[in-house]
Amino acid sequence: MSNWKLINKTYLYDGTFNGLLTIVFDSYSNKILPQKIYTANEYTPNFLDKTEYIETDYEKSQRVFSGIEKNICYEALYNSYNAFLSNEKDKEMYILKYLCNGFDVGPKINNMLTVSYVFKVINMRRRALAECHKLKGLLRFQEIGENLCYAKIHPDNNIIEPLGHHFINRLPSMNFIIHDKNREICFIYNCKEYRIIDSSNLKIPEISEQEKVYQDLWKMFFNTIAIRERKNPRCQMQFMPKKYWKDLVELQ
Amino acid sequence: MDIYEKLKILADSAKYDASCSSSGSNRKNKNNGIGNGHVSGICHSWGADGRCISLLKILMTNSCMYDCKYCINRATNSVKRATFTPREIADLTINFYKRNYIEGLFLSSAVIKSPDYTMEMLVQTATILRDEYNFNGYIHCKTIPGCSKELIDKLGTLVDRMSINIELPSNDSLKLLAPQKEKTGILKPMNYISNNIQENKLIKSRFKPKFVPAGQTTQMIIGATPESDLKILKLSEGLYQKLKLKRVYYSAYISVNNDRNLPTLEAPPLLRENRLYQADWLLRFYGFKADELLDETHPNFNHILDPKCDWALRHIDQFPIEINTADYFTLLRIPGIGVISAKKIIRARRTFLLDFEALKKLGVVLKRAKYFITCKGKYFDKVYKFNQNFIETNLVYQEKVDNNRKLNYEQLSLFNNNLNSYSNMTNEKTLLFNKLQPTKEDKVKCLTGNL
Repeated sequence: MSNWKLINKTYLYDGTFNGLLTIVFDSYSNKILPQKIYTANEYTPNFLDKTEYIETDYEKSQRVFSGIEKNICYEALYNSYNAFLSNEKDKEMYILKYLCNGFDVGPKINNMLTVSYVFKVINMRRRALAECHKLKGLLRFQEIGENLCYAKIHPDNNIIEPLGHHFINRLPSMNFIIHDKNREICFIYNCKEYRIIDSSNLKIPEISEQEKVYQDLWKMFFNTIAIRERKNPRCQMQFMPKKYWKDLVELQ
Repeated sequence: MDIYEKLKILADSAKYDASCSSSGSNRKNKNNGIGNGHVSGICHSWGADGRCISLLKILMTNSCMYDCKYCINRATNSVKRATFTPREIADLTINFYKRNYIEGLFLSSAVIKSPDYTMEMLVQTATILRDEYNFNGYIHCKTIPGCSKELIDKLGTLVDRMSINIELPSNDSLKLLAPQKEKTGILKPMNYISNNIQENKLIKSRFKPKFVPAGQTTQMIIGATPESDLKILKLSEGLYQKLKLKRVYYSAYISVNNDRNLPTLEAPPLLRENRLYQADWLLRFYGFKADELLDETHPNFNHILDPKCDWALRHIDQFPIEINTADYFTLLRIPGIGVISAKKIIRARRTFLLDFEALKKLGVVLKRAKYFITCKGKYFDKVYKFNQNFIETNLVYQEKVDNNRKLNYEQLSLFNNNLNSYSNMTNEKTLLFNKLQPTKEDKVKCLTGNL
């Protein structure tokens, strides 16, 4: 990658993983690296930038997608997809460099942890999946109808899809909605298939008496189970950061 | 009595059980039922004491026929008694599980009427959950000492994990504080379950019913009786090696009863508990042996330094270790380098030789490790400084700095510390030892011991 041409351009794309893979395709085939990559609707025009909008090309992105697994390794695909879910600034540039270099050196890329962008990509993956795992525990459903549950979350990373899959595997015969309040998107599942939709005008009915009974039981259980003599709020906060408390039934 | 009050009484009685993990079982969701297992376990909340809540931890009943002196539910105590029916427990579990409050059920019980009768009720609860509600989440059940083998067999195929608490780490203590229990009565069923698990693993058929797939655990009370750390650690080691236990929990003794045979402690010995967890981790993941960590001349753990640091300082001749050539288990012996760091180092050094800068980039914490390693043959400071005194003073001093920072944000003085002068070292050291509290890391840890 050392003899690649750095061009003075800022790429814009539609913010999907396929869009990013299209950029990877263009960069790799022309051996050029852009200055920066932004999602089109988040970009504030700048006097110095020369922008170019890269149209998402499904065919190109599919070629890159299968190419990553074939020419680098499955782990690289796993890393780049999950790193893409993170909320890190400039994540696109790191992933682009990681994949382009990966096509050159092969599966060895994942060992090159001292190279900054490789380390960064692996770190972004770790952070996104760690938050996903934490929310697998900290998400709280409330029953809002017959066999229909609703949960709202405020995650830092865009992890609604892997999170939703976890609950599909776990509760396949329950209808549920997971609502990402930070991004205003919803993961809805109806026992057969799932969709991720925009949720800016979603209306949630009041919780029922039955639901209240179980919430009270849970709150009481939560307060009872702690041993008073061992009180350790720092330890509690370390595992359960305060940013998640607003969605937890037991800490209201 | 309504369900609210029952849950309050029976959760309160169950809270002294340390075990809380939901790991080790990958039970699949069958026939669109409810729930599945997650191999690494999922914590759903953390109580005010910092212990994770992943299972609905309750007793079936707290009216006990035994009179163990340390236990809050002993027969002669005047506490409120309650009993759940199997159906009530199953309903509660399903409703909590659906709302994602819990990962499963941890059911324990006082002994009511007879061990067999109690055990039958436990089996009944598990049967309702598994067969009627098609529940595939995690179930951890206590085995009641002295129950029949058939019931253990039956329960073992229904649940994911079973446990019997040893509670007191020697026969003498058991005689003193739990006169109705016997050592053999506890160890025999443990042995039986362990053998069954091993046998079940040998059957190759895909359709075999799994027997206790997440293994067995146990718990010991720390500080109620005079056993040394060495004795406790030796016992744990034996349990891991011979009975193939998944985990031994240590529970700092909390005075709940007054009895002349029981010590009166102001606060539970949490630091000692944490040291034991750290040592336990060293046994299971770091390839240490109990004899290496403690011996007859040092039967108890160091207050200030964690067991691995303590060991390293006593075996300074094995250091410094070269990061770029040492094998995995040697890397694990370096204080401050744990499983994750060691794996990262092994991976990263395949492509580039590592130096201190590279280690920092990898995210390896050098606070303790830097004194015990060389990178490309170089020590972090001048080589003549590599000796036990220098390292020990620095490590202890570091703890002092951290403690000060946390406690009163005291301005550090350039002239008060004698880092490089060895003359009044011993004086300084004793002073520090008297003043020092356990480290910040030691205080915010709970039931784990990564080092």
